[in-house]
Amino acid sequence: MSRKIKILLGVGVYFAVIIAIGLIFGSDGKNESFQPQNEFKLEPWVHIKIAGIDLSINKAVLYLVLASAATVATMVWISRRMADKPNRVQTAVELAYDLTRNNITGGNLDRTMAIKWFPFLATLFFWIWFSNIIGYLPLPTNTEHPVDILGVEVPAFALYAATANISIPLVLTLVVWFSYHYEGVRHKGFFPYLKSWLPSGIEDMPFAFKAFVFVIECISHFVRLISLSVRLFANILAGHLLLLFMGGGLAVLLGLAALGALTFPMAFVFFVFEVGLVATLQAFIFSTLSAIYIGGAVAESH
Amino acid sequence: MEFASEIGQTLVLAATEGGEEEGGSFLVSPGLGLMIWTLLVFGFTMWVLSKVAFPRIQEALDKRAKLIAESIESAERAKQESEELTAEYRARLTEAREQADDIVARARKAADTAKAQATEEGKDKREELLAAARRDIEAETRRSLERIRKQVADLTVLTTEKVTRKSLDDADHRKLVDDALSEVDFASLAPEESKG
Repeated sequence: MSRKIKILLGVGVYFAVIIAIGLIFGSDGKNESFQPQNEFKLEPWVHIKIAGIDLSINKAVLYLVLASAATVATMVWISRRMADKPNRVQTAVELAYDLTRNNITGGNLDRTMAIKWFPFLATLFFWIWFSNIIGYLPLPTNTEHPVDILGVEVPAFALYAATANISIPLVLTLVVWFSYHYEGVRHKGFFPYLKSWLPSGIEDMPFAFKAFVFVIECISHFVRLISLSVRLFANILAGHLLLLFMGGGLAVLLGLAALGALTFPMAFVFFVFEVGLVATLQAFIFSTLSAIYIGGAVAESH
Repeated sequence: MEFASEIGQTLVLAATEGGEEEGGSFLVSPGLGLMIWTLLVFGFTMWVLSKVAFPRIQEALDKRAKLIAESIESAERAKQESEELTAEYRARLTEAREQADDIVARARKAADTAKAQATEEGKDKREELLAAARRDIEAETRRSLERIRKQVADLTVLTTEKVTRKSLDDADHRKLVDDALSEVDFASLAPEESKG
């Protein structure tokens, strides 16, 4: 029996068991009151309003602060006890530091630009990474569904990630977006910078064609705002939704409790996948693309 | 700023109010307040990392890189030194061996010379002795021959006198002796040299 057939058979049996469970136990009726997306809803905990802007402290702000605290604490702690013979944690941090310095920053920017932008790009990587990882730790943050423990109402443990909220990747993307335009204009001047958007090889083309290409390039620059932010946001949100559904959400939603026994192992697999790969990969991609955008804006030829 | 805050307000309102009614649209509605919080928190993080963490880590890494470079350098130096020493010792050893060979060769030569000289001297001495012996023998032989010749002459004279009963005059005497001597072969008694 070839491997392909074995895998197909395994998947087939898996789905057959799911259908069988559905037929045997029957649904308790679709659960209308459970809104999975509300896991990501932000309830203001402390109402703050300054100059008409709602600066209320909510779950996302807590996660921002947690990510920041974890980043600062880890990095400062490691930096204070840098030994000549590193232990495992120090080796890991050194590896990550080396990645941000020589790969993400050094690989995409020239020397002076790398020195200038290294703190920003490295912080992007570390902060997004810590933010992603904290997102996989269950924390008592679900105030919508508190749990009664010995008469005390304690918020339920829940998974959430700052990066699973569009505002946060978006504002980071905006900073990157304005930064690379600023560097481009600073290096080349305003009009030469706009001109440098045009790809090489179309100098001899008629003006109308060049204008057309320029419009496309303009659109592509604005699309970067969406692609960079949504890539991070959607990856983390999708991961959390998968964990939510596989970890029991699907069973609740379908009113089919027995299904949970089958989906739960999948939740475990996805959890390992998210923590082991997606969290680091997305932090890496976000900071690398930022470096590429900044490097591209100051590069001689487009 | 006014305009921005208005947009933010609208978005936040959309996020908080729209959530319940529109299902999940709040998921993709950015909130200005949260964005400001993000900027603040991220900015603070970046400030601390770039002031405290990154320089220290870089310093430690540079220090280690320098240490490693120095270690490699000193190891190379030590290696070179030891190689130089080895070469020197080898040269000295070769020199000493050459000297020893030289000494042995010289000694052998001296011994050979001495031996040859001794042999030569011995030979000379032997030949000298032999020559002396030969001279002695010759002299003795000659003396003996002389004595024999004289005795033969005397005996001849005596015998002749006895036979003839007369004394011989000088001329007779000489003739007799010569005759007798010519009859007697002394040649066999003479040494080799005197023969020729």
